[in-house]
Amino acid sequence: MSSAVDDDLWSAIGDPTRRRMLDLLLADGAGTATTLSARLPVTRQAVTKHLVVLDRAGLVRSAPAGREKRYHVDEAQLARAVAQLNSVGAMWDARLRRIKNLAEAIERAKNNKK
Amino acid sequence: MEYGSIERELHIDASPEVVFEVVSRPEHIRDWWSAETEFEPVGGVTSSLTWTDKDTGRVECSPFTVVDVDPPRLFSFRWTYGEGETAAPGNSLLVTFELVPTGEGTTLRFRETGYRERGWEAAALEACYNDHTQGWDFYLPRLADNARRLAAAR
Repeated sequence: MSSAVDDDLWSAIGDPTRRRMLDLLLADGAGTATTLSARLPVTRQAVTKHLVVLDRAGLVRSAPAGREKRYHVDEAQLARAVAQLNSVGAMWDARLRRIKNLAEAIERAKNNKK
Repeated sequence: MEYGSIERELHIDASPEVVFEVVSRPEHIRDWWSAETEFEPVGGVTSSLTWTDKDTGRVECSPFTVVDVDPPRLFSFRWTYGEGETAAPGNSLLVTFELVPTGEGTTLRFRETGYRERGWEAAALEACYNDHTQGWDFYLPRLADNARRLAAAR
């Protein structure tokens, strides 16, 4: 997993409109720039640009549908992005374990002095 | 699907007063976060967190602003915003420790929010600290020593 790919992935998913698009694509199964822009407060052109970013990050895949492209979410890639946030959670788990052990050691030492 | 925040809840066999000190005092933050910092626990106070990789000498830094202090119930702060910026919703991650007395001990509720607003770049930044997150095994003996020394000095 190269860091360059990860940067793309993170910034692709870092934008609220793009996350909303992913939510819609997940809910509907698939969508085009037209169907997505109908459900979002942004223009079709803006949606198209966001789709390019998501496509480049591998978060969506497309297939021709008439004059448009029909997009669906690449769930494996999305899972990878979610796993990265989970790894942040794992870091907090380690810190919280340290907080627990430290506080309990202080408490025990206090009680031993009584 | 919500992946904009991290939430945890755990029980600690120590009083809320002790847990509050551990989460909010710079000398303890040094132990559980490996971060050098110095600040007065007062809302609005700004400081920084600094991590130094002992092997490479590489230094990571993040600004830090105390948000709420209500001993021994609540401590919160913001971090991971740009140098020179003022911490606010949208440019930083908000960490909240909420302490609830439970039996002889404390329920610690942890929450980190702001990923959604801030963008996931913050999480990527956080992930790079992972390289510096020293092993539990290395830190634990040091922690226990510090805790004994601190308790003895009371």
